[in-house]
Amino acid sequence: MNLDRKGLAIAARILAPILVMLAAPAAQAVPSFARQTGMACEACHTVWPELTHFGRVFKANGYILDNLKQVRGVTAQKEEMLSLASLPPLSLMIQASYTSVAAAQPDSSGTGTAQNGTVAFPQQVSLFYAGKIAPHVGAFLQLTYGNDSGTIGIDNTDIRVTDLKVLPGDQSLIYGLSVNNNPTVQDLWNTTPAFGFPYATSNNAPGGSFGTQIDGARAQDVAGVTAYAFWNESLYGEIGLYRSAKQGTAGPLDSKTTGGVVDGTAPYWRVAYEHNWGRHSLEGGLYGATFKIFPDLTGSGYGSPLTGPSDKFEDVAEDVQYQYVGDQHLFSVTATRIHEKQTLDATYAAALAAFNASGGTTTLNNISNDLTTIRGNATYYYRRKIGGTVGFFQTTGSTDAALAPNSPDTKGWIAELNYMPWLNTKFSVQYTGYSKIDGLTTGTLGVTGRKASDNNTIYILAWLSY
Amino acid sequence: MRHAIVTTLGLLCAFGLGAARADAVDAATHEHAVRIAVGTCGSCHGPTGVSEQPKYPRLAGQNANYLAAQLKAFRGQTRGDADAIGYMWGMAGTLEDDTIDALAQYYASQKAARGHAGDPALVARGREIYEKGVESVGVPACAACHGPDAHGMGDFPRLAGQHAQYVMKQLASFQSNMRNVAVMHGVAQGLKVEEMRAVAAYLEAQQ
Repeated sequence: MNLDRKGLAIAARILAPILVMLAAPAAQAVPSFARQTGMACEACHTVWPELTHFGRVFKANGYILDNLKQVRGVTAQKEEMLSLASLPPLSLMIQASYTSVAAAQPDSSGTGTAQNGTVAFPQQVSLFYAGKIAPHVGAFLQLTYGNDSGTIGIDNTDIRVTDLKVLPGDQSLIYGLSVNNNPTVQDLWNTTPAFGFPYATSNNAPGGSFGTQIDGARAQDVAGVTAYAFWNESLYGEIGLYRSAKQGTAGPLDSKTTGGVVDGTAPYWRVAYEHNWGRHSLEGGLYGATFKIFPDLTGSGYGSPLTGPSDKFEDVAEDVQYQYVGDQHLFSVTATRIHEKQTLDATYAAALAAFNASGGTTTLNNISNDLTTIRGNATYYYRRKIGGTVGFFQTTGSTDAALAPNSPDTKGWIAELNYMPWLNTKFSVQYTGYSKIDGLTTGTLGVTGRKASDNNTIYILAWLSY
Repeated sequence: MRHAIVTTLGLLCAFGLGAARADAVDAATHEHAVRIAVGTCGSCHGPTGVSEQPKYPRLAGQNANYLAAQLKAFRGQTRGDADAIGYMWGMAGTLEDDTIDALAQYYASQKAARGHAGDPALVARGREIYEKGVESVGVPACAACHGPDAHGMGDFPRLAGQHAQYVMKQLASFQSNMRNVAVMHGVAQGLKVEEMRAVAAYLEAQQ
């Protein structure tokens, strides 16, 4: 099935934000938490950024556990008006990397190949404010310079207002609000997209083009308020709403806003249950969101005022996590399956108009599509010093003549070896292998004869946090 | 003779913690401490001090003076085993004396729980060591200080129902002097690993 140029352009515009966001760096764990709590990284992390049970509770409590000397302000009625740590919870992070692809990628001019073996120094530098702001308010704020953008911009952000109730029988109820800019960045488990493995990837390696909305496509593109409760450190529930919150855009969002605009608000929900016994921890849960989006049909926006039909993406996901946290041996398994039902009314209406205008020469997209992403990973560490992860990933879905003419299917596996001479330094070698990319086993990246495995990638990373 | 010296030293030093006492606390301090115990300490030690994770000691029913002394040792950074450094130095770093006392009394008032039953042969061997010591190498009976039922005596901690893994780790810390307690260093020096394992299994099986 041939993909005409119009269809390709529409697909590229719809997929553009997804591709950009998939390349965005994962959020991090930061040493300012250790400074604030006075506790070593191991209290909250198996190996960062994977959280232990204590780390999950620390996060649910809003990053406010503070064991530093405080500057205090109280009223005569003993009301606490100020509680400032003697040290601000600041951290700095730097990533430097080297990427090599099995076969050099095609040159952007359309002929020949690009240079293979890309150095990113730095790939990313981030400044964090991560810790307590006030007695019941805490934040994880990340400012990032990326070598791909060449600019400094807002990265993952999670500001929380929390409280704790001691219930009869000495059971706990942690509850609060999170204001954040990436659905699932506020989540407590490492199964969900924002903090899921891989925690760092190359930003100049090829990969699949299709992903669900909740799987990073809207990271730093929306702002949301969610309300959550964590009962007895076991049962977790959360609901919230997200709305477009574009960066680098002045004025109200309109027909020229790029990257797609959320129509109204997007509801988000999450339930999970965690059981801990001995050195084991097991979690199972569901999460999801529904986004209605005015797509970026023209490459420079929706092309008409933001009213009328929009594209609807209904994401429902399951996740499971197991951890064994020993003193010598640490083992964890994470898995998630995200299913997305797409109803592309806006894209279809635009495609139909183009179809009619062209006298029926352009290709129409499906009104409805589905997309399913599955990831599973197993991680082992010895004394938090040396270890690694092996995992698989696959995205499958419906074939669409205009948007995914060869199907959106991408399948592969990933292996990563890590050495951590100190708890805040990580050196990694990551290998990603592909058996299919965007439905193709050969002819990938638009190059005749280029096999999916020609995109296999070696990624070497130095990751330092202070 | 060696037994007597060790016991006397123990009573005199009271683990170097003789001055620590958990004093009475007012209602507001108690409420504050319960909030800390359930909301913070509870993540590792269990909300009522009955930790289900063997890495973290059970605190329910523990001697209040011992708990207060330990929290002050963490705060003063004088208890130096690995988990104390990594976890408790920070956690106790800014605790006030009255909060420490309230926390100690909160846990002391909780109902202690029995641990895993363990291998009967190992438990029996552990009981023998606990009650009689290892005469040949001068290891005194643990019961002399920790009580016949391992519920603790005076400032000596309760050990009954404690996680075997935690007891093993502490004995290793005494042995290496990372947890610098002269009396227990002397005791642990004389114990072989299998003897430690037996004592730990016996203690975990008690209530």
